[in-house]
This record gives sequence, structure tokens and C-alpha cells, in this order.
Amino acid sequence: MAVEARKIETPTPVPVVPGRPRSGLVTTALLAPPLLWLGVFFLVPVVLIFLYSVNVFSFFPGEQAFTLDAWKNFLDGSPFLDLFWKSIRMSLIVSVVAVVAAYPIAYYIALVASKRKYVLLLLILAPFLVSYFLRILAWKVILGDQGVINSFLFWTGLRDEGDPVSWLLYSQFAVILTLIYVYVPFVALPIFASLESLDRRLLEAASDLGASRWQAFRKVTLPLSMPGVIAGFIFVFIPTIGEYFTPLLVGGVDGTMFGIAIADQFGQSLNWLNGSVLSFFLLVVVAVLMSIFARFLTVRRVATD
Amino acid sequence: MSTEQEERNGRRLGRDDFLKLGAVTVGSGVLAACGAEDAPEPSAGGPTGEDVEERPPIEQEPGDLEVFEWAGYEYPAYGGKNGVLKPYVDQRGKPKFTFLTSDDQALGKVRAGYRPDIVHPCVDYIGNWVEMGVVQPWDTSLITNFADLEEPLVTGGQVDGQQYFIPADWGFSSPLYRADEVEPEGGVESWTLFYDDRYEGKISWWDSPLENFVIWGYVNGIENPWDMTDEQLDEARDFLMSKKHLCRNFWSSQTDLDADIAAGNIWIAYAWAGSYAEAKNAGLDVVYSDPKEGRLGWNCGFVLMADTENFRHAHEFVDAWSSVESAEWIINNYAYGHANTTVDLANVPKDYVEVFHLDDPEARQEPNAHYAVPVSTERRAAYAQRWDEVKAA
Repeated sequence: MAVEARKIETPTPVPVVPGRPRSGLVTTALLAPPLLWLGVFFLVPVVLIFLYSVNVFSFFPGEQAFTLDAWKNFLDGSPFLDLFWKSIRMSLIVSVVAVVAAYPIAYYIALVASKRKYVLLLLILAPFLVSYFLRILAWKVILGDQGVINSFLFWTGLRDEGDPVSWLLYSQFAVILTLIYVYVPFVALPIFASLESLDRRLLEAASDLGASRWQAFRKVTLPLSMPGVIAGFIFVFIPTIGEYFTPLLVGGVDGTMFGIAIADQFGQSLNWLNGSVLSFFLLVVVAVLMSIFARFLTVRRVATD
Repeated sequence: MSTEQEERNGRRLGRDDFLKLGAVTVGSGVLAACGAEDAPEPSAGGPTGEDVEERPPIEQEPGDLEVFEWAGYEYPAYGGKNGVLKPYVDQRGKPKFTFLTSDDQALGKVRAGYRPDIVHPCVDYIGNWVEMGVVQPWDTSLITNFADLEEPLVTGGQVDGQQYFIPADWGFSSPLYRADEVEPEGGVESWTLFYDDRYEGKISWWDSPLENFVIWGYVNGIENPWDMTDEQLDEARDFLMSKKHLCRNFWSSQTDLDADIAAGNIWIAYAWAGSYAEAKNAGLDVVYSDPKEGRLGWNCGFVLMADTENFRHAHEFVDAWSSVESAEWIINNYAYGHANTTVDLANVPKDYVEVFHLDDPEARQEPNAHYAVPVSTERRAAYAQRWDEVKAA
């Protein structure tokens, strides 16, 4: 029914501002600066990166001719491609755990905390008062061989002093843990927003119709908060695929990620050709993922309308 | 002393970290592309004696020398008005300093069109600078202190028989290890400590495209590890891949390494003398090894931009840098070595004399020490590609 009703409504044109026709000039003037900005500082560099990746431009002067060799090498079982999949895997773990960890927090703040809601929300954001670098350094202190956790294990006698748990730091575990810690607030915010706007009457209706609290959560609250969950998931997943700083500081040999490989190619290896291939590939994958997620988000919204 | 220590560390920290952060921004792509057209063709040969005659006298040069320099060498006590470079500054005015954070960043900036008068890169990148066609050889007859500079460093700064590079600061690179935790195999000091299975998870190699292959080369008796063939590099890569699980990390900033050593995370590391001093200060029982294959040496110095209008200013500045006063200041304040060999050892702390073998010239020469040498663009790429594969694998 709802769909049909909408169908009838849509053809009716709604005047934007009655009596004042929209001026094309004003629209252009308003849109031009951001579009120009995007074009000059995003689109042009992306095109340039692509041109570097096919050797139309190169770092050192010399023969510059179109070639797909670097792309072929990359896609043909190079260690960088494996590293990319490893980064995807790590990002997935981080995103899923961060969402699961953030949901109860967001739920509590949005639906239970009532009066103290915004104080708690500010508390979640409190870590951002400390620089990112310092927060990661703090993890090094906690996870090191003579760090907080290992010292505690020595003290309790669970571990011998000469035999610390060494996979805590400089490992995939360290990177995943640190990233989860960093991103939980980012995930909690969109989930909080979607739970906050939840129509409480729906929960009352569910209860009137005999649903248990768990059933009401599963059939009403969770589906209605899905846009927030997916948005939160994207907020973590997309940026962590190309993560650079965290694996550099706590990743060690085992926890290295794709973003480090890209930085190395443009930096110490002076291999802009390969570096451009890696970055452009990452860009394409992220763009594809974004469009898939975006579609998913819209479908959800329509379904819950 | 502690602030000087920090300054020193700051310099090393800056070198790799900031670059890496900057490198991922696409902006550098724009700059480089715009500069692509400006890159001059490689100059055929350098100036001969006649060229120098033809150059305008120093009074007719614009002055305002622009030096693309590591942070720390512009401090008032050194590069400033009352600093060690006073003789130059008094006569020619204070140079304008801009700062590089790593060799590759410096190359990238010049590639994008930046044109200072002189740059302070490290010797293993000189091949890149020459091939990019942006530098010219020095006229060593204009540098009065040139004869006092350490001979292997001077010859190491030549490409195609021309002096493209005037050596300035240097230091050793060697294995550093915790004497209370580590016992070298058979009591013999060797780079093979880096591949010792007994210390799995306690080792840190330097994250650098060349050095890990060079070390493998010296360990395996390769004649010139700075210029290995693709086959040798492949063999080295496979070996390094098979041993990388022994490493806790590959360090890229000295501050991080020092913290890891102090925190007991790392027992064995590729290290500069500064890390040794740092570990000693932290009260650790450490050894700065003299491996039987010989220590490595890093060495940075000056290149002269091809299109500088301050040809004579540049020479005078580098002459002041090469002076014995400059050498003493650098050694005492930064604990780096200096190419000038005429330093009065009475003016230098005993520790530094020992660490840099200042009283023992032979220890600073082949085969006891292997200074870095210029590496061609093509060879560096071959090394770097394999190092990236080791890291990514």
C-alpha cells in the first residue's frame, strides 16, 4: 500500500520556494568551490596516480611509455596481493569485533542511560583528547615483554620472568587489538544515532502483542538500527584496509599491512610505478566496496520505511 | 647533553617517519608531475678548470646560499651567527636552511622542481642524484680543507671519476646486543648474530632497502655487496625471507628502537652509535659489536646543484663545514663522526674516540669497515624490490 501511495505522490511537482524561482547562478556559485576543490585535489591526483601506474609518468627521467607490466606483476601472484588479502582479513576482524563491542555501549547510552546520555557520549569521545600517537604508544607499554600485562603474569607466577608472552606486541594481534580500541567510539556514534531516533511506540506495541524483551530486540530494535550498524562497520572497514600508522608502531614483522607497502614504494624504495599500482588498486577496491555498502544501506532504509 | 641527545634522535626519527607519512599523500604525485617538465637533462661531465675561471667572482654571485639540510645543523651554535660556521656566516651572511627528512624525500622534492644550491644527502644515494642530472661535480681546488678529509670517504664520493660528493658526517653501523642475554656463537663477533635461531623474536633488522642484502653479502664473502647481481640478490632475498621470523620488527626510527631495547623487547639490533650511547645511559649491559666481517659505515655529505648561481658561495660553505673546528663540534655535540681527520683527540671525549676508532685509522678502512658507496638507480631498484618482497611475504 505504502509503495502505491508514494507512486501517486511523486509526479506532483513541489515548488521549491514559491514566488522565488531558483537562480542557476546562485546554485553554480555555491557548488563551484567544493567541486573545484574535489577536482583539483582529488580527481586530478587520482588520474596522475593512474598515469604513474602505467609508466606514462615516472620518478626518474628516462623512457616513459605506456605499459601494464607493473599491473601484471602485481596481479600475478605478487606478495603484495597476498598482503592485500591479509589486510582485508585483519580489517574484517577489526570491523566485526568493533561493531559487536560498540553495540551494547550505544544501546546503553541511547535507550537506558536517559538523563546522563550526553555526558556518557562525551566520555566515549574523551580518548580523542589525547593524541593518536600517544594512545598507541600506551599500548606498547601495556603489551611489551616487560609491559603491564607481562609484569602482572610474572607477579602472579602464571609465567616465568624469562618467558614473557611475546605475541602481545609486534604481531597481528597487537594491530587488531589497537585498531579495535581506536575505532569503537567511531562505531558507537552511528549506532547510537540510529537507536536514539528509534520510535519507542514500536517497542510498546511489540510488548503489547506479547513479544518478550529479547524478541522485541531481535525483531524490532536490531533491524531498525541496522543502518547505524552498517554505517559503523563502513567507518571502520574502509579506513583500516589502508591502515599505516598502527601496524608501523605495533605490527612488527608479522603485523605489517598494505598501507605500509604503499608508503614504502613511494618512500625508501623510490618505486612510484609499483606504489601507484598498489594505491590505485586499493582505491578501486574501496570504491567498489563503498558502492556495494551504499546500496545495502538504502535497501535497508526502504525496507524499514 | 640530554637535549643534544634528543636533537640527534630527532634527526634520525624525522628521516624515515615523516617521509612515510608524507609519501602516502597523493599531493606528492601532483608536485612530481608538475615538476616533470622542469627536470633538466643530465649535464655532460662537470666543470673543468676553465669553467671555474669563467665563472663570475664571488662578489657577483647573488649570495643567499640555500642549503637543503638535515634539521640540527642549522642551530645557532653550529650554522648560526656565532656558531662554528662563523667564518662563512660573517663574510657571506647566514645561509637559508630548508630541511630534508630522508634521502628519498629529498630526491622527491628536487624531482618536483625544488632548486636549492646544495643538498646534504647520504653517499649511497649519489648515484640517483647524478643520474637524475640535477648535480654537478665540485671543484675541490676551491675547498682548502679538502686534503684533510678521510680518504676512503673521499673516493667513495666519486662517480665516473668526478667528485660529486664532499663527505661530511659519518658513523658506524654494527650489531648491538645485550651482553647479559646474548652469547655470540662460539664467542665470535659476527653479523650472523642476526640469523641466530636461539634469539627468535628478540632481533631487529633495520628497515632499509640496501643494508640487509649488503650484510648478507659480507657474511657470504661476496666481493662487492653494494653491487650484487640479480641472482645473488634473489638468493639473499630467499635467505632473508627464511630468517625474518626471527625478527620482532624491522626498525625505522632510532627512538623506537632505543625504546624497544630499553623495554627489553629487543636484544639484538642493527644500530648506530647513538643507540649504543642511549642503551648505556639506560644502564643496560650492551656490546657494540666489531663483527669479523667488518662494520658498515654510513656517510652523508654535500652535493652541488647543477644550476646553482652560488657556485663559489657553495664551495666556501662546504669548506667551512669541512674544517677541523666543525669536526670537533659535530663529534662532541652530535656524537657523529666527521670526515676531517685532523681533530685533536684531546678535545674529544674518550668514549667517542673509542666508538669511532678515532685513534686507529686502520679500523676505519677496508676490510675492517665498509663505508656505503654510490649505488646506481637501477641497482637500488633491484635491491629495494626484493626488500619489499621480504617485508610483504
